[in-house]
Amino acid sequence: MLELKNLSFSVAEKNENGEEKRRDIIDEMDFTFEAGKFYAITGPNGSGKTTLSRLIMGINQPSAGSIFFEGKDITGMTITERATAGISYSFQQPARFKGVTFRDLLSVAARTENEEKLLEIVRRVGICPLSFLDKPVDSTLSGGEIKKIELATTIARNPKLAIYDEPDTGIDLWTIMPMVNLLKKEQIDHKTTTIVVSHNRSFLDVADDILIVDHGKLRYHGNLKNALPMLNDFRICSFNPCPEGEQDAQCFR
Amino acid sequence: MLNALDKDLLKAVADLDDLPQGAYSIRKNGKLESRSVTANIDIVTDDKRDGIIVTIAPGTINESVHIPVILSENGLNDVVYNTFIVGAGSDVTIVAGCGIHCGGPEPEGHEGIHEFRVEKGARLKYVEKHYASGHGFGRKIMNPTTKVHLEENAHVEMELTQIGGVDEANRINEAVLGPGSSLMIMERVMTEGDQKADSRNEIILAGEGSSSNMISRSVIKGNSRQNFYATMVARQKCFGHIECDAIIMDNGANETIPALRAEHPDAELSHEASIGKIAGDQLMKLMSLGLSDEEAVNMIIQGFLR
Repeated sequence: MLELKNLSFSVAEKNENGEEKRRDIIDEMDFTFEAGKFYAITGPNGSGKTTLSRLIMGINQPSAGSIFFEGKDITGMTITERATAGISYSFQQPARFKGVTFRDLLSVAARTENEEKLLEIVRRVGICPLSFLDKPVDSTLSGGEIKKIELATTIARNPKLAIYDEPDTGIDLWTIMPMVNLLKKEQIDHKTTTIVVSHNRSFLDVADDILIVDHGKLRYHGNLKNALPMLNDFRICSFNPCPEGEQDAQCFR
Repeated sequence: MLNALDKDLLKAVADLDDLPQGAYSIRKNGKLESRSVTANIDIVTDDKRDGIIVTIAPGTINESVHIPVILSENGLNDVVYNTFIVGAGSDVTIVAGCGIHCGGPEPEGHEGIHEFRVEKGARLKYVEKHYASGHGFGRKIMNPTTKVHLEENAHVEMELTQIGGVDEANRINEAVLGPGSSLMIMERVMTEGDQKADSRNEIILAGEGSSSNMISRSVIKGNSRQNFYATMVARQKCFGHIECDAIIMDNGANETIPALRAEHPDAELSHEASIGKIAGDQLMKLMSLGLSDEEAVNMIIQGFLR
């Protein structure tokens, strides 16, 4: 349902001698995502995971290659056009507004202002209390609260393809499993093709397919069992030491 | 009689479809159009200068006063001085506003000076909207001034809005706060084309335990220009905050100067100011929900000025 063909994204950088060079963030990537499956993309910091997900949504434009969605070339499409085509995206760091409430965003996402329908979406998402509806989406929200709102607006689109960029950042440990179960339930109930960019073991556990990205290249594609030796022993993950207490989150660190 | 044009202006500035309930005084083209008083709210013509005196009896609760001004006579410059005495312990809403329709070549303007004496323990909500319409070449000018005196433990909330079409505005707000009183001001101004708006504010926290919060939201489009100046002076142990945010678009220009002056060691004053274009992450989020670029900009501005 989603095909990446020879996809590249590079940025200009200056080396020590002041000469301009191009660095590949995504390097000639080819991959086909199948409809209705749950994919987890993982890999070390700076490996290109977020860039890859942004290229799919049209937030960044590729330097080369193309993206096909349901057989149609969407490489030149705007974010709005991709959203209309059925792609939905949860930002790693969601935007904060002034004077815009969760209700406003949800109404736009769900294309309705009907109270009952909005409440139904909040109930379906489950992780946001009903009282969230009239909260302003501004700097007064905690990191976890805004991520829950972000997730709800993504689901409210009823997308064919949902992309979540590190949905668990800032989320408390007690909410992570309900969040994982929610995304899995959405995949099953609505046949939503799901792509989650995450380091969190809980997301990898429920994924049908694991993609390991490093230095802009797809290093592995397959099940979690076979990915584990690579994640543990090959030390492609160059994470910083695990902060105290983080072991409970079962992060790959 | 109010014609269709007057009713449009009335709707825009006072959200009224017809004559309001309760006390009101409607001024049209520099003259009294109609007036109504209640048992607790008296409105009389000021015999010393052009304007009215509104007296709200002490203890008046949940009543409102509407005093809209409409101008549709080309070339007129209407100057008015209104006085409001809000009696001790009362809790009322005053809705003022000025709508100008300019259909001719001459400039039209309104200068309204509104002076408030808010007595001990009274609560006042003051809502003021300015709006201009019409395709005449004449410049539409509005210079509203408010002067507020808050007595002990009085509370005032002011919503000051300039919603569009005003070519030139010199806005002045002055307030002196007594002990334990509080003042909250929310000012929203949108300019476009070649419009210009200046807002000058001086808030004096004169009484112990007084507090004030002034929020300014500006949207500056086209070639328009806005300047915002606010000074908060603390003379006693008190609390004051100024927050001014401006969104600039196209070739808009903005100058924002919040100033704090403390004359007492226990004064707590702070300010925050920002000027910038619409944040890219806000636009991208709304576009990812299916809005076009233009729809996203409108939603962000509407929220910002809400």
